Amino acid sequence: MVNAIKGIFISCDVQMAQLIVHMNASLPASHKFIVHVLDNTHLFVQPHAAEMIRAGISNFRDQNSYEKPT
Amino acid sequence: MTGDGDRGRPKKKLKNSAKASHFVEYKELDYAEDFDEETGDRDGEAKKRDFTKLELKLDHSNRPLWACSDGRIFLETFSPLYKQAYDFLIAIAEPVCRPESMHEYNLTPHSLYAAVSVGLETETIVNVLNKLSKTKLPKEMIDFIHGSTANYGKVKLVLKKNRYFIESPFPEVLKKLLKDDVINKARISSEENRAGEAFSISKAPGEINTHSGLLDGVDLAAVAEEKEIHSFEVDPSQVESVKQRCLPNALNYPMLEEYDFRNDTVNPDLNMELKPQAQPRPYQEKSLSKMFGNGRARSGIIVLPCGAGKSLVGVSAACRIKKSCLCLATNAVSVDQWAFQFKLWSTIRDDQICRFTSDNKEKFRGNTGVVVTTYNMVAFGGKRSEDSEKIIEEIRNREWGLLLMDEVHVVPAHMFRKVISITKSHCKLGLTATLVREDERITDLNFLIGPKLYEANWLDLVKGGFIANVQCAEVWCPMTKEFFAEYLKKENSKKKQALYVMNPNKFRACEFLIRFHEQQRGDKIIVFADNLFALTAYAMRLRKPMIYGATSHQERTRILEAFKHSPDVNTIFLSKVGDNSIDIPEANVIIQISSHAGSRRQEAQRLGRILRAKGRPQDRMAGGKEEYNAFFYSLVSTDTQEMYYSTKRQQFLIDQGYSFKVITSLPPLDSGPELSLYHLNEQLDLLNKVLSAGDDAVGLEQLEEDADDIALLKARRTVGSMSALSGASGMVYMEYNTGHGKKKVAKIKPKDPSKRHSLFKKRFG
Repeated sequence: MVNAIKGIFISCDVQMAQLIVHMNASLPASHKFIVHVLDNTHLFVQPHAAEMIRAGISNFRDQNSYEKPT
Repeated sequence: MTGDGDRGRPKKKLKNSAKASHFVEYKELDYAEDFDEETGDRDGEAKKRDFTKLELKLDHSNRPLWACSDGRIFLETFSPLYKQAYDFLIAIAEPVCRPESMHEYNLTPHSLYAAVSVGLETETIVNVLNKLSKTKLPKEMIDFIHGSTANYGKVKLVLKKNRYFIESPFPEVLKKLLKDDVINKARISSEENRAGEAFSISKAPGEINTHSGLLDGVDLAAVAEEKEIHSFEVDPSQVESVKQRCLPNALNYPMLEEYDFRNDTVNPDLNMELKPQAQPRPYQEKSLSKMFGNGRARSGIIVLPCGAGKSLVGVSAACRIKKSCLCLATNAVSVDQWAFQFKLWSTIRDDQICRFTSDNKEKFRGNTGVVVTTYNMVAFGGKRSEDSEKIIEEIRNREWGLLLMDEVHVVPAHMFRKVISITKSHCKLGLTATLVREDERITDLNFLIGPKLYEANWLDLVKGGFIANVQCAEVWCPMTKEFFAEYLKKENSKKKQALYVMNPNKFRACEFLIRFHEQQRGDKIIVFADNLFALTAYAMRLRKPMIYGATSHQERTRILEAFKHSPDVNTIFLSKVGDNSIDIPEANVIIQISSHAGSRRQEAQRLGRILRAKGRPQDRMAGGKEEYNAFFYSLVSTDTQEMYYSTKRQQFLIDQGYSFKVITSLPPLDSGPELSLYHLNEQLDLLNKVLSAGDDAVGLEQLEEDADDIALLKARRTVGSMSALSGASGMVYMEYNTGHGKKKVAKIKPKDPSKRHSLFKKRFG
């Protein structure tokens, strides 16, 4: 029988995919959100995780970008 | 306008801030007191950026600058009046950012102090500024100039026969100064006026100021008249604190230090002239004219980019003063270089110049001469050998006409204090290329040496063909999947640096660039890596020679000679040791694969390695055969901390008007196995090596963000210990390593005094 799961399809570059995988790995088993890693640049995740992934990525980017102090 | 004037003002401001979210809280502004603090910063910010009230003058298009009420001044460099306006602005304001067509300056109490000390008067500043401004000068700015300059130039610090006097034509000013505790304590009352109120009075001819080249129609001539000079003597050991009390943020009577060397009959003259072939370039002339503006010598700092000929400025200054000169450099190698420069440019006799380092103690001969030594030698507080004790005594007792200080930015403030308190000099000249420090101690230099007399505009020197025209590029190398996965893991936090430096894509980009420049252009390339693990790994794999802390002196010389002369050695790998002292004029390409966190100075100093002008002048000019003849690549692994550091490091150069081109497609996509690390298993192999290496071998020590010098010193120390680990400790360049037993131990590093145990604080001062 075919199982249908609702989710979000993420397409991103190699590094961000790794970041998301890393976020997923650092969570306890009950909170894991990746349904399937399709390939290097595509992931399928549970729908509720979108916001968290966005926040995680923007936080990561902020840490790596320098803003000139005023 | 008193209070903590300078500190209260934001140093750098957000330009053209577009996003409301970027508004940042300002501390109190000197002349923006009418802002209601309660209304919130955003309101104040918006109000401050609203310049609609400024009135445009009718002929505004002929005038080069915009003056804003918050003290910022914008200069259009394409204006026909640019040259004159630049000369004027650099004298009165601090350059914030100088890109190609629009410069930003900031008026600060310190910069105005510098302006007054080079002889500009308040009225002149306001008048000229008004002439150049497109808009009517805002009232706030005029008030600010008046407020900050009203008291300047009224008090002078003079050294006469080894005694310090504070002079002023206004006795009431001196009385006011004496009300201050610090100054009163420092005063030495002479026998005859024990009353404490009377000052010694002498007659002095008023000075005649003639300034040319500012603007037509600006008359700066002051009337010569006999003035009564009142003075009192101060304790030499207290001079520094007295000076500090007089700065704008305290009593606000900053002292001018001038030396009337022509009329100094007490100190014997030194017979030296510039050789006729020494032709100072226009900007060197200009910086000297700032220093000797009224026939006297002023103390201060001259800022010129690396490779622009700072030493000629120093030698010329010494030749003009023609008195004994003490020249301080940072290490033994540059001591030799300075001695050489003196002999090269001036007619000084060999017996009049002596070097004083731990291995080279030349005796004084005669009663005048040039002494070249290092900061460490003078400031060293421990026990010395008999020879050097004698020489130091000599230095201490002598009255120096000129104290010439090289690379003033590197010397920690406490060492400076010591040097300056030990040596009595009439005039102090500091030279540097990069007046930035991450610990913001630069402002200390203002009272330790003097105001900034001149700062050259890098881009103008590039246009004039005096320094190389460098193409700066930031090469973005994406992390590979495997390296990035490891990078993210918490347990690898200490190896993060090693992981992003060893990123295979970076390696391939580096290899590609080396090949391209060696084969296509025949360039000489320096590759910089701070991380020793990466340095060795890269150099071994690419089969190139490398130099780091533990490389012996002979080997360094051999490698550098080969690099200079052999057509087979076109690339060398350098660790941090190559940042400053190694002079390699042949190199014209720099590839930076790892760096000391976010140090802006390191970036600028490294760029300085290739700034020395190359090729024929006509080729170098814009539109010439080769517009760019030097290349500076910074390889950065994207999505890592390195991006943060890289942007930060570039700030200084960006402020000097350099722009960094971002290159994303290196190595080219079609490049295959001809570059190494093409196959996945090779990459995994490398990854394993990085992961299995010990933490201390791989990671650079964790430094707090930019302790700058102190951190750099620490880092160098680690290089030393690495060498000990590998069994090859031959730190020949470290001049204190002379085998004098105990002496070595005490001297080894000037520690940050705040970290010193209280027992030792007294001893080292």
